[in-house]
Amino acid sequence: MILAFALAAAFLFGSGAYLLLKRDLIRMVAGIMLISQCAVVTIIAASLGRGRAAIAVAPGDPVSDPLPQALALTALVIGLATVALLLALVHRAVVVFRTAEQDRLAATEAAHEAALERERRADREEVGPAPEEAGPAEEEPADGGRAR
Amino acid sequence: MLLSIALLVPWVSGALLVALDGRRRAVAWLAVVALAANLAVLGVLAAEVSTGGVAQVVTGGWPVGVGIVLRADALGVAFAALSVLVLLAAAAHEAIGGVRSRTFPGLVVLLSAGLTGLFVTADVFSFYVFFELAMTASYALSAYGGKRRQLRAALVFTAVNLLGSFIFLLSVAGAYRVTGALAMDQVAQRLLTVNPNAAVLIAAGFFTAFSVKLGLFPFHFWLPTVYAGARPAVAAILSGAVANIGSYGLLRFGVALFPEQLRLAGVALVVLGAASIVYGGVMAVARGDAAEMLAYSAIGQVGYVLVALGVGGPVGLTAAVLYSAVNSLNKALLFLASGVRGALVAAAFALGALSVAGVPPAAGFVGKLELFRTGVVAGSAALVVLLVVGSALSLVYLFQVYQRRFWRADPQAVGAASPLAQRLLTAALALLVLALGVWPEPLLAFSGHAVEALLAGNSP
Repeated sequence: MILAFALAAAFLFGSGAYLLLKRDLIRMVAGIMLISQCAVVTIIAASLGRGRAAIAVAPGDPVSDPLPQALALTALVIGLATVALLLALVHRAVVVFRTAEQDRLAATEAAHEAALERERRADREEVGPAPEEAGPAEEEPADGGRAR
Repeated sequence: MLLSIALLVPWVSGALLVALDGRRRAVAWLAVVALAANLAVLGVLAAEVSTGGVAQVVTGGWPVGVGIVLRADALGVAFAALSVLVLLAAAAHEAIGGVRSRTFPGLVVLLSAGLTGLFVTADVFSFYVFFELAMTASYALSAYGGKRRQLRAALVFTAVNLLGSFIFLLSVAGAYRVTGALAMDQVAQRLLTVNPNAAVLIAAGFFTAFSVKLGLFPFHFWLPTVYAGARPAVAAILSGAVANIGSYGLLRFGVALFPEQLRLAGVALVVLGAASIVYGGVMAVARGDAAEMLAYSAIGQVGYVLVALGVGGPVGLTAAVLYSAVNSLNKALLFLASGVRGALVAAAFALGALSVAGVPPAAGFVGKLELFRTGVVAGSAALVVLLVVGSALSLVYLFQVYQRRFWRADPQAVGAASPLAQRLLTAALALLVLALGVWPEPLLAFSGHAVEALLAGNSP
């Protein structure tokens, strides 16, 4: 039984990690969800090997440890809340960046880097007033970072 | 009793404030008042426990062993008060400048509830619960501002730190599996007799989780994007208050639960810390943007804490506590100052820069002095040289930024000055850093007590 749980947890973590490394943001969220389930399975497995579940046991029977099940419930609720928050963030990102690919997001970041570099050069060569700090990348149009 | 109040004040007021529109000035100031009240309660609690005492509450009136135990010792209260102080400064900063989102004030207060709970709990699983409460609030906070950069910062921050949280949860499950206990002192006792391989594995899991939070060298990859992308007040909160979870966790779990594993890994920790210091310093020198430079500087600064922890012993641990306290004040000051323009700010920034570099009048000097003592006690010349190189690097990069920002002749590039109150707040924070440097005895004594409390839980 312990082996089955260990294999299940390992499989969940492995697939979660694989999805986490994908470029697509939705898959990344799915990966994090799988890893959170892996943690829950591990918690449940921590209570194994001590008899039957604590509901409806005859007096004198060995009773399994009920504490990890309470912990698993708490972990599930917290996992639900955090994953919901992450999904909301991803949704917001898809609306704003109009893409769920991390590459595109990174391209926007690269455009920002380029703007910073321009500012730095302007600083060095003292040509005109430098643009406002931290500004350029945000004000650029949505396709500013698309050209790769 | 006092302990329950310290938790209830931010919890209740945070839950209420989230429902209100934070963009109204009154609500923002209510949040500041709630944080100030929380800080006041923690101050009283600190006075109570500073002489080695412990305030303890068992939740729900259950007998010890059944109910969850909240125990405030000098270490926990010190970190809690420090974090709430940084939150207070950041919330006041935003309240003066005008809050831009409905939820900001409520989230900051809820974050303070999570942090306070996390620093005073004596139970591994409720540590996880408070940890997630604080982290969830900070995930939402990192998107504050709502622009593209903040959004990307929030995505990266949330994804990486959720992974860190689940690794923490896995380690908690592992610790429960091998010890059958969740209360920290019981876990510590029973860990002495478990299979050393399992214990090392669990310790490595906890170490990874806290290092991700702290942004130590091999786990730092998320940090520059996040700190540079977030708004200054949020960056100050993340680096001055939320990162404290990492250093507190390393101290509490490392010293109280896994002393044997910590001793074994001492050299590895020193090497990792040294890598952090050098990497953070060199990258910071190479960066032109103030926020990015401060982000890399944060990676370098936490390296010092890890080095002190790796050396260990009362001297090393005192240095670790002291340096994390000074560092979180420094970072809060620098990030807040980087978001403000006008007179007084240059002086405040310079003071923060001197403090990071460890130049005498500022508090950073005391921290660096303790670190040098650690190096001398460890009898390692390489360590002392490393500390000198790290300080020199920080002086170089900080004054590069100082020059770039405050010596601009072109008034157009500087922009309009910030409200006077915001500048005064920054100056007040700078004065605090200066005062702690000029009169360091209380801070030194308190870190000493904190380490005594930490080690006392160990011995019986």
